[in-house]
Amino acid sequence: MNALTISDFTFSYPEKDPLFTDVSLTLEEGSFALLVGRTGCGKTTLLRAIKSELAPAGNRCGLIEVFGRNTFTLTTYESASMIGHVAQSAENQIVCDSVWHELAFGLENLGVSQAEMRRRIAEVASFFDIESLMHAPVTSLSGGQKQAVTLASILVMQPKLLLLDEPTAQLDPVAEKNFLHALFRINRELGITVVVATHAPETMRAYAHEAFCITDKRLEPISLDEFDFSDFVFDEQGHGERNHDERGYDEPNHGERNHGERNHGERKKKALAELSENNTALSLHDVFFRYTAHEPWVLRGLDVDIASGSIHAIIGANGSGKSTLLHLIAGILKRGRGQVKNKLSAAQALLPQNPKALFVCDSAYEELQEWQKRCGYTEARLAATLERFGLSAHADQHPYDLSGGQQQKLALAKLLLTNPDLLLLDEPTKGLDATAKCEIAEILLSLRDVGTTIILVTHDLSFVACVADSATMLFDGQATCTEALPDFFAQNIFYRPRVDAFMLRWREHQAPLNKGVHAANRSTTTGATTGATTGATPGKSASEGAHAANRSTTTGNAPTSSISAGDFL
Amino acid sequence: MIALGEQTRETQTSKLHAFDSLHPTIQLGCFAAILILTMVTIHPIFLALSFVAAFSFCGFARGWKTALATLAWQAPLVLLCAAINPLFSSAGTTTLFHLGSKAVMAESVVFGGCMGLMLAAVILWFCAASAVLTSDKVMAVLGSRLPSIGLMVSMTMRLVPQFVERGRLIEGNLRAVSAAAPQNSQEVVGGRIRLVSTLMGWSMEDSLERADAMKARGWGATKTRTTYKRYQFRRFDAVALALCGVLGALSAVSAWLVCSRWQFYPALGSLAPWWAYLPFALFMFLPLLACISENVRGGNGRNLL
Repeated sequence: MNALTISDFTFSYPEKDPLFTDVSLTLEEGSFALLVGRTGCGKTTLLRAIKSELAPAGNRCGLIEVFGRNTFTLTTYESASMIGHVAQSAENQIVCDSVWHELAFGLENLGVSQAEMRRRIAEVASFFDIESLMHAPVTSLSGGQKQAVTLASILVMQPKLLLLDEPTAQLDPVAEKNFLHALFRINRELGITVVVATHAPETMRAYAHEAFCITDKRLEPISLDEFDFSDFVFDEQGHGERNHDERGYDEPNHGERNHGERNHGERKKKALAELSENNTALSLHDVFFRYTAHEPWVLRGLDVDIASGSIHAIIGANGSGKSTLLHLIAGILKRGRGQVKNKLSAAQALLPQNPKALFVCDSAYEELQEWQKRCGYTEARLAATLERFGLSAHADQHPYDLSGGQQQKLALAKLLLTNPDLLLLDEPTKGLDATAKCEIAEILLSLRDVGTTIILVTHDLSFVACVADSATMLFDGQATCTEALPDFFAQNIFYRPRVDAFMLRWREHQAPLNKGVHAANRSTTTGATTGATTGATPGKSASEGAHAANRSTTTGNAPTSSISAGDFL
Repeated sequence: MIALGEQTRETQTSKLHAFDSLHPTIQLGCFAAILILTMVTIHPIFLALSFVAAFSFCGFARGWKTALATLAWQAPLVLLCAAINPLFSSAGTTTLFHLGSKAVMAESVVFGGCMGLMLAAVILWFCAASAVLTSDKVMAVLGSRLPSIGLMVSMTMRLVPQFVERGRLIEGNLRAVSAAAPQNSQEVVGGRIRLVSTLMGWSMEDSLERADAMKARGWGATKTRTTYKRYQFRRFDAVALALCGVLGALSAVSAWLVCSRWQFYPALGSLAPWWAYLPFALFMFLPLLACISENVRGGNGRNLL
């Protein structure tokens, strides 16, 4: 029997062009399908249209059937017990204050009897191994645990079709793996049909049976191999190619090395040279920190120096104290012992993990005006910034109506108008697709080129590999190692970036630029007036480079983007 | 399978095992009875007993440091009540001294002290009860009677910490942007308003998503919701309830008998023999004795005294 049949489905929001037309899809029972497509192509709308209570208002024609039943004739009871829906943010989906109540919530709604409820909750809690959490308040759970509880709270209702909308976008890589593994078991062991809308299909590829892509208002099946980047290597121009040499996959730092030297050669050495010249923007020495006297130390004896005018990444596992460190640098957290010297504290800006924490106005334009009086930037510069961040068309929209990537860019634009010399970023790429990540990366590089010091805390290793100059790994409350970038990952075997859609796109994007804008780039670099980037003589540092073999590839300049640095001055 | 290894903090303190195995109705009933008895027996001996029992249980459950810290402000409170009452009431027969034209009577001082002691004891009992009666236990008792209120409280308990956490986040993030720092007191006030407005916007936005999640899980699917009951009332609970009831009734009767023969004015009454206070004392110390005996035996939480 087919679990899901969509025939000639067309949908348009009121007074808008159709989002997609004549979409057809058939999923067999027990299938694990991925739904991909660019941001705003209608993945979410399509998923919600399948579940009538969540279906957006608009013009629809065509038929959607779940296990042979028209979804629009299903009662709330039938729909809740047949079709499960998991959205992106676990934080916003959890209704009750304790785990057991959250699991019971759906069953209580359906009027399930006491004995039956006990049995179902016991079953699911054992399946997910969350028995020990049953009485815990939800606030004490980690992000991964919260999403697991959300999934469990839907499975107690024993749905036959599970729809998930970017379920792992807010999770760190480890939690993401665990969640996907749970999903895999639900699909394979219980035979529940799973449909996942995602913009990071590469991590789910191995679990899925089939994939569909929404392009140009159409839904087309695509091969799962499209998301398999494991055998990609890069040639010297940065064009990605599938490596047909079997060894390519096993050789640890094939892609990384090429990429590192091409993209970073000059800068890295400069960053290190600056470190040794004591041109540090920030230095933390022997820092100890804990939140309260009863809790264990989060940081114990952390030392790190960060060069001014560089992009520095702070990486490490969950709970290793990355965000704590960022907040200490920003001065949000004050207690603790040791030395935190921040030379740029008078002109700093922090991009929070959730950009909503920065929004207070009714439109994107007003949002950018909030600090105008105080910082004295002109209307022209404001308009140029909107244009530069691709937000001109959305100037009148409410910040909350923008997509995740646009919100992130708006928050960044708002901060950049204050002319910060130090930019602190907390997980800037969380939940963004490859295109949005490329845009953020471009902005960061052009900022660095005018001398802004950037510190980013992230789980996204491929982003770090492409953008950062140096990185620090936190472990056991200490900075385990701080190194310039190609070397940083070159030694690692387990903790390495994987090639993903972002990395591919970024390399393709950078390759022509590296040749093309050579001359222009040099003039902007030397023309920049902000101290840190001037005086960089690429040729000199390249000749001192340790990686002689790749010297030929680094004769160009530091990586840059299509934007000239002058835009930000 | 899902790595949920880290043990989350359970609400219970290991010291309070004796209570955790009991049905919350009995825990709630026991503390409610203690509180009511404390409030209606205006008698120096009973109040002193209740105060000492409350103080020791508080010290046992929440730590002696915490209990002593409360004592530090409660002792002056009792003294203050004792000192203020004679200024308003000049009843009594024993004159201690004259304050201007007003005579300060010993009986008034004792009455004021008793009122202060009662206030202190009640506060201490609330402090002790909150260590045992976590919100989910109170909800389990109230929730089974009033399911919709139960759900509402649960949702509020979910949202309030989230609200507070986000407020802290917004405030911290703003402090981290140098350009946004307030430059005068007017801007400080403006900043507060801004914080509230951001917080409201953010929460409203999220509430739409939460409403969808509720609909997706069948909210409103049936006319009558059922309620998941975490706790079951067992025979052990019935026995414990009977024991508490008998002891409570005994102490109430003895307290009534003693109190009816006691007076503050015009002169203090005489004290009853020591055994008249015994049931009351036993009842007040019951929570502490139960916990200690449980911990000494190291039992499975199913032992009566």
